[in-house]
Amino acid sequence: MNENSERPCLLWRHRVSLVSLFFFSGLLLQTSVLQARPYDEVIASGKLVVFVYEDYAPYSWYEGDELRGIDVEIGRAFGEKLGVDIEFLVRGADENIDDDLRVNIWKGDLIHRKAADVMLHVPVDKEVDIRNELAVITSPYFLEQMAVVVDSEELPELPTFARFVYNPIAVEVDTAGDFFLSNAFGGRLHSSIRRGRTFADAVEVFESGEASGLMGSRAQAEWVSDGSARETSIHQPPMPGIVRQSWPIGIAIKHDSRDLGYALGDVITELIVSGRLEKITESYGVSYVKPENL
Amino acid sequence: MRISEKRAAVNAKSLLPTAVSTSLSALAGAVVLSLGVASAPAMAEGVTIDDLMNDQATTDDIVTYGLGPRGQRYSPLDTLNKENIKNLFPVWSFSFGGEKQRGQESQPIIKDGVMYVTGSYSRIWAIDIATGEELWQYDARLPEGILPCCDVINRGAAILGDKVFFGTLDAKIVALNAETGKVVWRKTIANYEDGYSYTAAPLIVPTEAHGPLIVTGNSGGEFGIVGQVEARNPDTGDLVWTRPVIEGHMGTLNGEESTMTGTANETWPGDMYKNGGGATWLGGTYDPDTKLVFFGTGNPAPWNSHLRPGDNKWSASRIAINPEDGEIAWGFQTTPHDGWDYDGVNEFISFDMEKDGQTVKAGATADRNGFFYVLDRTNGDFISATPFVQNISWAKGIDENGRPIWDPENRPGNPAESADGKKGKSIFAVPSFLGGKNWMPMAYSQDTQMFYIPSNEWGMDIWNEPITYKKGAAYLGAGFTIKPIFDDYIGSLKAMDPATGEVKWEYRNKAPLWGGVLTTAGGLVFTGTPEGYLKAFDAETGEELWKFQTGTGIVSSPVTWEQDGEQWVAITTGWGGAVPLWGGEVAKVVSYLNQGGSVWAFKIPKQLALK
Repeated sequence: MNENSERPCLLWRHRVSLVSLFFFSGLLLQTSVLQARPYDEVIASGKLVVFVYEDYAPYSWYEGDELRGIDVEIGRAFGEKLGVDIEFLVRGADENIDDDLRVNIWKGDLIHRKAADVMLHVPVDKEVDIRNELAVITSPYFLEQMAVVVDSEELPELPTFARFVYNPIAVEVDTAGDFFLSNAFGGRLHSSIRRGRTFADAVEVFESGEASGLMGSRAQAEWVSDGSARETSIHQPPMPGIVRQSWPIGIAIKHDSRDLGYALGDVITELIVSGRLEKITESYGVSYVKPENL
Repeated sequence: MRISEKRAAVNAKSLLPTAVSTSLSALAGAVVLSLGVASAPAMAEGVTIDDLMNDQATTDDIVTYGLGPRGQRYSPLDTLNKENIKNLFPVWSFSFGGEKQRGQESQPIIKDGVMYVTGSYSRIWAIDIATGEELWQYDARLPEGILPCCDVINRGAAILGDKVFFGTLDAKIVALNAETGKVVWRKTIANYEDGYSYTAAPLIVPTEAHGPLIVTGNSGGEFGIVGQVEARNPDTGDLVWTRPVIEGHMGTLNGEESTMTGTANETWPGDMYKNGGGATWLGGTYDPDTKLVFFGTGNPAPWNSHLRPGDNKWSASRIAINPEDGEIAWGFQTTPHDGWDYDGVNEFISFDMEKDGQTVKAGATADRNGFFYVLDRTNGDFISATPFVQNISWAKGIDENGRPIWDPENRPGNPAESADGKKGKSIFAVPSFLGGKNWMPMAYSQDTQMFYIPSNEWGMDIWNEPITYKKGAAYLGAGFTIKPIFDDYIGSLKAMDPATGEVKWEYRNKAPLWGGVLTTAGGLVFTGTPEGYLKAFDAETGEELWKFQTGTGIVSSPVTWEQDGEQWVAITTGWGGAVPLWGGEVAKVVSYLNQGGSVWAFKIPKQLALK
């Protein structure tokens, strides 16, 4: 099938979803049968557009021209199993997940109006799912946790975060880790937080020896540890005041593309059951933690 | 992107032979010519820096954003007046075309019978005013990765010599040949991949050290950015100086480090100043009298004020910069330790204030935080602050030093304090984060000596939200919703006496006002409404004298000029901007408004201008 056969359908679907948003949100169930074409469309067009975050090692990032990461490999597995090409839509994070779902899944961006068929790395949270009725969140594939990687010679043990009153800690600016550290112990860590503009910047601060530790997700911490020139260890000390110490992540699709979601969910189940996902994460130095059955 | 570069290359080639042959053949004559016209404006060179500085007095053109560098938006034209305004008729309407519409916030530039007007999605047109026909159009090729935060608007162009300048959504500034629309140069202000954008009209100012400079701020990037003011050579686009607005950051002059803004860590904890915010997204004004450039700065980051104890300078401030070297002459912080998203970007307008029999070199600004400030523009000293919207709740007032008397009850709480995952206590703050006044510029009449402020009466509920996620990770955020204060109106155009703080009259509008204001020596005040009307009021009484329905919402600033002995008025139209992006109760009064994209030109025919 050529591109032209796909375009009118895409436009049509887009328009219908907007109409239903503004006027007929009560009729979603009835219209969804009509709109449930995306799986067929994807197969017919021979291409699946997959959203991954940019600068988000070890899940998705560019190493030179090569797009790498756990989420990227899951995306490629989608293509393999569905027998379609994969186009990655790589964008930065907006202010919150609701914005990301709008821009990358159900509405598209303001300039080019481009969205993806599926978004990876979406927190599987009932509240988020309910709030964003034009997106569907499904198929948890990984359990995200918060953790710290430290230089184990400088900090042989890490019973609490109090050690970071005196030892600098690196963190990517404006992330869950940054908010936790900024608030911790009534602001007593303020002078020891070393914020990086990107996660890579934060890693550089840690690797340069300027900070004794780095806070991020467990996967990030393990990935840093795996590639570090320092002697490192991973810790998950108590995090008083943190909103969640762990949460599952899955995929999001458009509300009218549930059948695509089922097909991709099957791929994810197979990746988990066959042990392939574990092999993927371990190839990035990240131990695989299966999400609890939800 | 590639196409634009190609255009630039072609343009450079085609210019070269012309330039060479002209300079060779006219070599002998050129000397005589330049001697002969030394005192007159050099027409051959197009618009001069003197033209820009004298813009307010010369009524046959509009070569600056704000009808003069001070941004007073006052025209000495009085052909059109209270008696004959009923005879103001539309002459033409020019469509921006395409599928792309959204908000049109642009102010046209007028020179030698040509209108230069920018539109949404980084487009610009040159229009023959006599006929309303297009002379050229330039579309910036916007890259895939660009994600502007708010709307795809542009506020206008600048003009100097034979070039027209405007900023694009991918944070670049483009210089075009005014006659052909071909690219002369194109420079990156900031990297759009880091979330930067550009929407303001550039400012051009004179200097002794560098000649004219084109001065811009920066915009976009919710976090991790630092507001900065930059000056460039208008011929080449080369950077002359930069001035970061957050303390602890180093400025540059002629490619070398100059001085640090303030002192690192003085009013910020830890290394937070490094990503402190303060985007200078609305551009600036210039006062030829004190020779200072005035810029406003955005809110500090992160949003949660409990994470950053201290004043957080110079976020939410006005700063005066010496354009010779980019040094800060003075700063005045309207909202120290902002917790409400009260950007301090609103325009600072220089004016001479008659008070107690004396003339004060003053400047005024109507802040998002709901207070109208008058400062001494020579040194930034505080003179007065008066509420220009009702029921302000975030502060109980402004003290004699110009600092707010905060109401701690109405500061949004720390989300971390509701870590149990429950919705926290809700507070009601007035004004809302969209401000008592937002970007839309006010006007100052030299006749009535009053400011005409386009304002909005609204507040916001803010609460700690149970849970949200950023970049896949969980954190506690804040929820908010904007609420009108009154049942029957949000928009409020007010005439304020800056010397007394007295509101002389008020015009109320159902939808929020989002367009700029123009006032004239004919005793008129113009502004547009989201409902689609361009309206004219009696500057003394506020009586509505004239209106015209343009067919879509107005969120731009009107202009007036004289051409072939007739007075013209123009306005861009097209509903959009930030208001439609926010829902809540405000959506009820704006959700039915249709998009558009055009510029309307009006004039009063000669025979109808006589009483």
